[in-house]
Amino acid sequence: MSDDALQYDAIVIGAGHNGLVAAGYLAKAGKNVVVLDSAEAVGGAAQTAEISPDYQVSTAAHLVSGFPRQIEKDLKLSKHGLAWATNDMATVALDRDGKHIMLSSSRKSDIATLTAHAAQDADAWKAFEGRVGKYVKLLKPLLDKRLPDVSAEAATKAAAMLALRLEKMGPADLRAFLQLVPSSVASLLDRSFEGDLIKGALSLEATLGAHAGPHTPGTAFSYVYKKTQEAIGQGMGYPVGGTGALTEALASAAEGLGARIRLESPVIEIIIEEGRIKGVRLADGTVFEAPIVLSSVDPKTTCLDLVGARHFETPAVTHVSRIKMKGATAKINLALEGLPTFANFSDREYGGRLLIAPDMGTVERSFTAAKRGELTLDPVMELVIPSYHDPRLAPMGHHVMSIIVPNVPFDVDGGWDTQKDPFVKRVIDTISDYAPDLSDKIIAGEVLTPPELEDRFGWGNRGWHQGNMSFDQLLSFRPAPGMAHYEAGVSGLYLCGVGTHPGGGLTGLPGKLSAEAALAAEKVS
Amino acid sequence: MTEDVTEHSVSEEVTDVSRDSPLNGPGVPPDPAWFEQAADEAPYARHVLTTPLHLDVADESRTNSWTAWAGYTVADVYTSIEQEYDALRTRAGLSDISPLTKVRLSGEDVVPYLDRLLTRPVGNLEPNQSTRAVLCDGNGCVIAEGVLFRLGDEEFRLVLRSSHLDWLRQSALGFDIQLEDVSGTIAGLSLAGPMADSVLRLAGMEKPAALAKHQGVWVELGGMPVYLSRTGMMGGLEYELWCDPADASIVWRRLLGVGQKVGLRPVGSAVRNIARLENGVALEGVDYLSAFTAVDPSDALSPYDLCLGGCVDLDRSVFNGQAALRKTAESGSRNALVGFELDLADAGVGGPICNGDKQVGRITSLAWSPTLQCTIALGLVRASALGASDGFTIKTQTGENIPAKLTKRPFLRFS
Repeated sequence: MSDDALQYDAIVIGAGHNGLVAAGYLAKAGKNVVVLDSAEAVGGAAQTAEISPDYQVSTAAHLVSGFPRQIEKDLKLSKHGLAWATNDMATVALDRDGKHIMLSSSRKSDIATLTAHAAQDADAWKAFEGRVGKYVKLLKPLLDKRLPDVSAEAATKAAAMLALRLEKMGPADLRAFLQLVPSSVASLLDRSFEGDLIKGALSLEATLGAHAGPHTPGTAFSYVYKKTQEAIGQGMGYPVGGTGALTEALASAAEGLGARIRLESPVIEIIIEEGRIKGVRLADGTVFEAPIVLSSVDPKTTCLDLVGARHFETPAVTHVSRIKMKGATAKINLALEGLPTFANFSDREYGGRLLIAPDMGTVERSFTAAKRGELTLDPVMELVIPSYHDPRLAPMGHHVMSIIVPNVPFDVDGGWDTQKDPFVKRVIDTISDYAPDLSDKIIAGEVLTPPELEDRFGWGNRGWHQGNMSFDQLLSFRPAPGMAHYEAGVSGLYLCGVGTHPGGGLTGLPGKLSAEAALAAEKVS
Repeated sequence: MTEDVTEHSVSEEVTDVSRDSPLNGPGVPPDPAWFEQAADEAPYARHVLTTPLHLDVADESRTNSWTAWAGYTVADVYTSIEQEYDALRTRAGLSDISPLTKVRLSGEDVVPYLDRLLTRPVGNLEPNQSTRAVLCDGNGCVIAEGVLFRLGDEEFRLVLRSSHLDWLRQSALGFDIQLEDVSGTIAGLSLAGPMADSVLRLAGMEKPAALAKHQGVWVELGGMPVYLSRTGMMGGLEYELWCDPADASIVWRRLLGVGQKVGLRPVGSAVRNIARLENGVALEGVDYLSAFTAVDPSDALSPYDLCLGGCVDLDRSVFNGQAALRKTAESGSRNALVGFELDLADAGVGGPICNGDKQVGRITSLAWSPTLQCTIALGLVRASALGASDGFTIKTQTGENIPAKLTKRPFLRFS
């Protein structure tokens, strides 16, 4: 059954960004690697595709904010065509009356918009940023390296180091941090700001993609964690050609290093023999053999479906089966025949990340509706106009808009057949409140409801993160207690998707750290 | 001849039912409805449970001495420890063991499920055979010990001293099996002693002696279907009888009725405890804590600590505790549960075991063995102390040090 051509040193399941990063690092270390993916193109959730001819957009994930320069350098991605259209996007909280707020702190002009809105919040922002910055500094050393398992001896040492750094922050900051960890982002923001708009926008930032609302405990920490991820990256932006260009560069780099990428090859089984990885089996029965398998599929599917619960001890199965994965999202991509007119918008704002979240109540209501399986009347969303920085995505003068709508239930009341059109209308109407001429400019559009995202990418019902990014599922607890070291409990099996530390977003770090773990383990044995 | 005896005893038993009972007063038959659960009663409403044999057991009790076992009320002593012990070791003893947890496991994946659950594979177990089953948690610590019966190709019954259904259910994820707690639908009786065969023969069974150790068989006893197995924890010749709770009373009365001829007596928990100690059997919750009960993780013990290493087969596909047990097997166990013979009975359970001046362990079970004419004890000692040249001593409650002789288990050997 196994001919020599199908024997490799390592198999990577999934040609998303993390799978490709892992393959790149393994190939760079001289391993004979094959990447298997069921899709027709590489990229996973980071793909660029056409809405209609000549209008291209990042189909799912549309921003890169935490991709470390180190990976770019290590894999020589610029040689493989990676160029950033921008990595200096501002975050803009849209205001119905045109008094928008810029939320990026790096520039004086940004703070000026906040001052114009509410002077006291401008001062508060500086204090808030300073405080969050301290926490980010505290967490940053934990995010770009492998973490020891909670039960490991090394964990005690790591915890002691963290405790030491906490203590160094001084009693006031220590108290504030300990208070922050379990609290909701709503209480954090209520303590810091007065304006509804800034609170609404920041609470959306904290909860985007999570199954949580501003009042959900732990969301304050989620906000700090997101900021830490951004701090590891190179600023918020996207590559020329959309997020798909990033994964294409990664694929080209991996192939340049000798890895083989085989598409339309859905893996249905990870084969275990005598407690060790033997290889994988594809849907058509083909068997690939390798002593190491890295799976970027979510930990639950990898362990319980691809490998099978019987190959793990009960505690591992229990932990994995209890990973919380929720937070369905919809994606709407629009082709526009011109730039929609937002009142009082400058260049920087058009090129920014636009948040529609007028206040925390609206964000909370959209989450509450999602919990009930309903669609909110006032959707909140994150939108970008990628063609603004990257004109080649659309014909001259034309544009594309990419919209992420969080808190959209997978199983919506009444079914998506009847709910899809009203949902899209509500989203367009909401944006039209800010850019009244939007509907006149729409040429074509693409709506991906959670079930459609599930069909295309396999994560519609489970959120983007292969496990909620809440405190109980982060750091040494990610993906599950006892699995923080990327090894999934079967000798030779590694997890390398966003379900592992440091988690979601287009960071590539899970892939890199997982590949390093696999290489380190090999050296030991 | 045998037939005659049987016939006779049946009629005797009928009169038995209506005989004067200390529970009911003269002439009033016991009413099982007293202990039945009302239709509107929540399953957890009762904290004190009665076994299907409660009325019969109560009928035999002359001391009104009871004890609790897994929430059930069971007889501690029926008449006197001496009489019951004497019956058990020289003739035959009958006990109610219904409080045991019985779990029925069946389905396509039941063998792989059990292979993953237990420290030893079960594939080679023939139908109607039983084996000792050890369950470990993920840290390689013993959760429970029990007996596993194979009833068919895809049907097993696991008998445990306490319920660990949660763990059994969690472990079932990903396996196509059915798991049922059948504790309430199976009554258990233990018949032990050198005359146990004769009792069964008198009760109408043809060839009980043909049953090998650990083997089981369906038999008919007084017209009732009974699963008879040569299992038990007291050593010597012993049987366990498993039947429908509704039939249990009839089986009990029939055995007691015909057994009188050979000196069969009901035996309570007190004597059963002495007997299992003579047989060197450690009990969960008595000699060691289940891994889930141990609040301090160092109180949880591996099979090697309990000298159950023979029940562990490491080199096979994954099972619960495998990774941790591999490490333990390599590094050696920290503790050892060993037997001691003592000259005095003054020491109490929990008492310190010393080696020189140093305390190296503690006593977990202790009893006077009438057969051996000495006090026997199980004690958990540090494995490092076993090699020491100094003898062990046990500190009594008055502070006196008495010598304790390390003794191989079982204490009492049967030919």
